[in-house]
Amino acid sequence: MTKQKNPCWSFFTSVYLTITLLALMVILSIVGTLIPQQDAARGFIQGISPGLASFLQTMQAFDVFHSVWFFLLMLLLCLNLIVCSLNRWPLTWKQFRGAPLAEEKGLFRGLTPERIFMCDEDVETMTGRMEVLLSRKYRKIIVNCEKEDAIIICGERGRYSRFAVYAVHVSLLLLIMGAFTGAFWGWEGYVNIGEGETADAIDLKGAEGTKKLPFTIRCDKFLVAFHENGAPKTFRSDLTFLQDGKTLFQGPLLMNHTISLEGVRVYQASYGSSPDGRASLAFSRGGGEEKIIKVGPGESFALPEKNGTVQIARIEEDLMKMGPAVKIIVHSGEGDVSCWVFQHIDKIREMSPGVTEQIPMFNPALFKPYIFVLKGIEERHYTGLQISSDPGAPLVAAAAVFMMMGLMGTFFASHRRIWIKIERAGEKTKISVAARTNKHRVVLDREVRQLTERIKISLEAGST
Amino acid sequence: MTNTMLLSWATFLYFGAFVFYLFRLVFRKEFWGQGAFYTVIGGLGAHTLSMLLRWKESYALGFGHAPLSNFYESLIFFAWALILLYVIVEWRIKDRSLGVFVLPAAFLLLAFASLTPSISNRIQALVPALQSNWLTSHVVACFLGYAAFTVAFAIGIMYFLRNIPLFGFIPEGETLNELLYQHAVLGFVFLTLGIMTGSVWAHYAWGSYWSWDPKETWSLITWLIYAVMLHARYVRGWKGDRMAVLGVNYLPGLHSYLQS
Ligand code: HEM
Repeated sequence: MTKQKNPCWSFFTSVYLTITLLALMVILSIVGTLIPQQDAARGFIQGISPGLASFLQTMQAFDVFHSVWFFLLMLLLCLNLIVCSLNRWPLTWKQFRGAPLAEEKGLFRGLTPERIFMCDEDVETMTGRMEVLLSRKYRKIIVNCEKEDAIIICGERGRYSRFAVYAVHVSLLLLIMGAFTGAFWGWEGYVNIGEGETADAIDLKGAEGTKKLPFTIRCDKFLVAFHENGAPKTFRSDLTFLQDGKTLFQGPLLMNHTISLEGVRVYQASYGSSPDGRASLAFSRGGGEEKIIKVGPGESFALPEKNGTVQIARIEEDLMKMGPAVKIIVHSGEGDVSCWVFQHIDKIREMSPGVTEQIPMFNPALFKPYIFVLKGIEERHYTGLQISSDPGAPLVAAAAVFMMMGLMGTFFASHRRIWIKIERAGEKTKISVAARTNKHRVVLDREVRQLTERIKISLEAGST
Repeated sequence: MTNTMLLSWATFLYFGAFVFYLFRLVFRKEFWGQGAFYTVIGGLGAHTLSMLLRWKESYALGFGHAPLSNFYESLIFFAWALILLYVIVEWRIKDRSLGVFVLPAAFLLLAFASLTPSISNRIQALVPALQSNWLTSHVVACFLGYAAFTVAFAIGIMYFLRNIPLFGFIPEGETLNELLYQHAVLGFVFLTLGIMTGSVWAHYAWGSYWSWDPKETWSLITWLIYAVMLHARYVRGWKGDRMAVLGVNYLPGLHSYLQS
């Protein structure tokens, strides 16, 4: 290639450049962990002098991983990778395609005695036998007659491993491409949806405004289950996704199990409960049969057998540290009676006896002959969803697969070749074994030893 | 709890094996070396059994998760991976001199895990974010990687000590170099796998596969340093001291783990 003369080209073929770039990236990353980044930087900036702060700000030290420096490094690394790979490609291709015999001169020079055998059979018989032995481990077998009375058999393995290092490097390109795709076209945000409510827009991360979703999400129910020790066990939202009034998808969303629809991924991020839940209120006539009714704030219901309606004035999760309570107003012919109904009235009476006599407002039996009991306040949960879209993710995933395959190929495979020469040497036939590998000598040596072992056994068996 | 009992046994056996490896050096008798190896195997057996029992116990408690969920369990697994790797190495290269350097590490890890009051050895329930097979694979891959780096680290130290007369038992530099490289490679592959599985988990649990938090960044830094090492060696044939120094670099990764 003529390009090799170009100084710019050769600058980018240099592996010293690679090492320098990687080292710079290490330094940049260390800076990024030492100086607080993004939101975390706010407190840090207040603690240092304004001059230093503005200097660091212009150097983009508070967002190193999205800075111009980082971008430049990545760009140079990509160029380095591309140029370097292109530069080496012809050589690799030649080594891959290369006729196994042409190149290696002096292949059979200086062989150790264990790799040379003498026997009485003729060349042809031995060629057949050697082929069988070699093909046990070496798939691609080529038989080559160089000159008369001399035949060379070549067996080859792991030839594709020559490309493995390219797979590693291409995977890096894919990875960087995926990361940039995500950074430019991806988005991420949050939304809280109460049970029974819907949402079709989210707040983008970093206060970048809101974003409309391609569908509407309805939270049908939120469930949280706890372990015995009180730690949460599962969070689960039952969601319905709607588009143009039609249901796209309906199903549960759990932590670590995302829902992905229309290129958008929905995660269970958090949850909470809102106080405007409904109360479960029981009443009876003088301790007789109990009736339970569920009411929300402002709602009212009629009492049977007596002209009166009960209105729920307030619902409190925790009134004056005495637990859940609802304030009811009973409208009847005798005027309005209002009182607080506590959930834990027995406990309150125990703690401060006579309280219901002293404070009539706390007496659940104020409207005779009825007795009210609060069974509980239903909490109304909301689910916190994180919603994001990352069009680069598939590229990154592909890069990961590529990289793993590439690393396996580079580190645990090698291109090994074994040649067996069978020739006439005076009255006898001489067999010599030569071998080459691009790495992992130990593996090759072991395989050659196994082969020579087999040849020995075969010769001994043949001569008897 | 029987799993902690078994673990104490393992700790004790590893310490014994270390002493035997020392005896081997002092008395120069292979007898001690063999004894040490069998002691290590015994310790590994107890260690393995202890982890399996712990796993079973977690099911009996109704949590049902692999014993890889908290710091204590990670340390135990780290020591286990280290010993397993060591046993394989000793068996493959038929050289026992590495034992004196690796066994104390495993022994100290176990002692540290069991004796530090702030490290709880209770079997705990997992909060929903941690209930993921990806997370389990992540922990396994990372600690296998750290185990390989630890062995590389031990070899790096041996490399520096090899010319001191007292340490005449250390194999020659070339062999050490090769071993160091192989372990660095093994560690690199596992670290790569660890970063990948961690990202997959983050992708499913948090919604983004990479968020540049310090732990992630340090794992990347470690990874980059090893990438430098691979290139330096491959292309320019760096060997010897500089390689040994790089072999020692596994500290940043570990540091980031302990920091969390
Ligand atoms: C983070 C970035 C990179 C990683 C993780 C990486 C990874 C690797 C790995 C694992 C090997 C195999 C080493 C061995 O067999 O011992 C390798 C070899 C190599 N890399 Fe990279 N690489 C990176 C960037 C680059 C760049 C930017 C270049 C551009 C010049 C480059 C050029 C080479 C060359 C020339 C080889 C030797 C190839 C051969 O086997 O003939 N690498 N790389």
